[in-house]
Amino acid sequence: MAFVAGQPVTAVVQRIEIRKLRHGDNLILGFSIGGGIDQDPAQNPYSEDKTDKGIYVTRVSEGGPAEVAGLQIGDKIMQVNGWDMTMVTHDQARKRLTKKNEDVVRLLVTRKSLQQAIRQSLH
Amino acid sequence: MERSRIMEDLNLIYIRQMAQSLQDTDFQKKIDHEVRMREGACKLLAACTQRQQALEAAKSLLTCNNRIMAYMSTVQRMKEAQLMQRKVRRSSDAGLLKDRSPCKGKVAISDLRIPLMWKDTDYFKNRGDFHRYAVFALLKIGCDIYDTDMVLVDCTMSDICFENAFVFSSVGPDFEMRMELYSCCVEEDFSISSAPRKLASKLSSSMGRSAGKKVRGSVDGPGESAMDNDGSSSLLFLPAAVTGPKYHLLAHTNLSLPAIHSSFWTHSLRTVGNESCCFWLPLYGSVCCQLAAQPLCMTQQIISSFLNLQQRVGERQSWTRMFCVLLGTNLFCYYSPEEVEAKVDPAFTIAINKETRIRAMEKDTRTRGNSLTITNLCAGEEVTHTLVAESVEQMYQWMEAFWQHFCDMSAWKQCCEELMKIETASPRKLPVPISTGVSLYHQTAIDSPGDDVSVWLAQSVGGDAGLVCPPWYVLFENSPKTVCRHVAAFSDDSAAVTSTAKTWDVPDFSKTDSGKPLPRGRTLSLDSKLTTVRCQEQRGDGGQVCTLSSDDSGEDIASPSPIKPFPQPALEQSHRRNVPSKLSPRNWLQTPV
Repeated sequence: MAFVAGQPVTAVVQRIEIRKLRHGDNLILGFSIGGGIDQDPAQNPYSEDKTDKGIYVTRVSEGGPAEVAGLQIGDKIMQVNGWDMTMVTHDQARKRLTKKNEDVVRLLVTRKSLQQAIRQSLH
Repeated sequence: MERSRIMEDLNLIYIRQMAQSLQDTDFQKKIDHEVRMREGACKLLAACTQRQQALEAAKSLLTCNNRIMAYMSTVQRMKEAQLMQRKVRRSSDAGLLKDRSPCKGKVAISDLRIPLMWKDTDYFKNRGDFHRYAVFALLKIGCDIYDTDMVLVDCTMSDICFENAFVFSSVGPDFEMRMELYSCCVEEDFSISSAPRKLASKLSSSMGRSAGKKVRGSVDGPGESAMDNDGSSSLLFLPAAVTGPKYHLLAHTNLSLPAIHSSFWTHSLRTVGNESCCFWLPLYGSVCCQLAAQPLCMTQQIISSFLNLQQRVGERQSWTRMFCVLLGTNLFCYYSPEEVEAKVDPAFTIAINKETRIRAMEKDTRTRGNSLTITNLCAGEEVTHTLVAESVEQMYQWMEAFWQHFCDMSAWKQCCEELMKIETASPRKLPVPISTGVSLYHQTAIDSPGDDVSVWLAQSVGGDAGLVCPPWYVLFENSPKTVCRHVAAFSDDSAAVTSTAKTWDVPDFSKTDSGKPLPRGRTLSLDSKLTTVRCQEQRGDGGQVCTLSSDDSGEDIASPSPIKPFPQPALEQSHRRNVPSKLSPRNWLQTPV
């Protein structure tokens, strides 16, 4: 999942559609994110490449909308509803996920196991 | 000289009397304190011999003068207001008009940076006169005046940076912060400025034109340069005997509520004077800083008590007695007041913002009477919560609190959307791995085999599959974040970090097996302080290792010396000193969504 600066990024992604759950006045998705271009990438326990400043899923609440939709811990979020998440600050990522007028978020996520699965199926 | 002394004393006597008549001991103490500080600064200025001391003393003198002026005008205004009030009371027995005034708050400003715009002629055509300027800024809101540390600026610096952070407390939303930048030319040979005028003018005519002008400017007596000073009243306060360095107002700007953002922002600066003035610096015309505000309505609990919350489960209605707290943009509902102290998450949160509508109903037949309904717009739908107070008085108390809260929120506008952080601790020092002796424009030369380090590495490291990282990458293990932080702090828009962040990615070595050069990524020739590391290729037979050296060591560019681990320990140390806060776990934020 490492990429060379200036070159297009290729990744195997999975589409995940999460319906937000209304909890009082808040709309929750049921997971936590970490990472961002303003964060220290060396402390990311889920990334393969320790210079990757992307947004990763660090926790998925049990039974929450994210778990139900198939999001897994350690996933890297590439896009949210069409908005890029590979070069955003932590706060920008949070804002794109928690827009109050959106009930559903469609994520494109990538994970190691997807890459391996594709490689295995090709050989 | 006698006249100015007499005027001084008269002014002070007058102000002291006014302060006394106002019976405001606070002001009296403040004015006395400043007057004593001023006397001390004058004495120090007259007695000191070292240039640095003189500059600091002149700065404190100017600050004291400004503070005294501010207190004087405030005391005068208070006195006038007192007189006006007495008149009004006598003329009409106006009843107590309850007009709402918005709450006060704290305003913090930090990380001030003023970019400079030096011309290339300053570098390449300088005739040996190397001008330095002492610069500092004054920040004023009402009576509170803070001064930054003094910074010495010369043509090798691209910005004037003030590391200080200031917090103004008890500021209303209609505040106006005035920022004033003062500068003073510092000659290498300080003794010239203190020489008698005739000698100085003789000397200055024999030096270069611009140098002479500057010397003459710094020697001007108070009478002539009073017009350059900020406010002619400072003439009264400056004892005629002062011959030390004199600061002049270089630029100023006013900032108020619309200028507050939760991140760095650039504001325009109005410059005073032109190139011919001795104190002039080529300012780019803007100032970048972080201005944040914390109104009290966001940090303090407004009201809290037990209320009954109506909950609808299916067809049934039930009432739960909850301890409700109004704070910031939320109404938090806890089961008991102990939970608030224990900092447990509230059981329920209702948003209170500009779009919220609240209605009070006494003796409502549907509910148990004395109810408050709070309606919010949530994803296009209206969501209503009903809270019932335990008595009519309590309901009115809550309504009053809500009205005041709405008044505060509409007065403080964008500051009430989210709580802005104000750091009271000293600001983190920007890690500058290169000493300030390095000049901007002399370090961009980068050696062959081409300025693309990744290409070079591909060619040299090519067949060696075992080598994952070049040895010099160790130097950057700690630094990518510091470098990026560095750049982030120097740019107005946080998006700028994205472009520079890319440059520090390690090139993908798996692609070098074929021996072909890597596709040309971004070069390492970044501007300013980032370019002062250069790759030195070792043209020996065996080792093809890159050594990195920063230029403040004054090393020869094409030195054939063997590999030196030079500045690695030194740089790493300085990194370690400046970086520890960045490696702490809290810097990898996790946010639930």
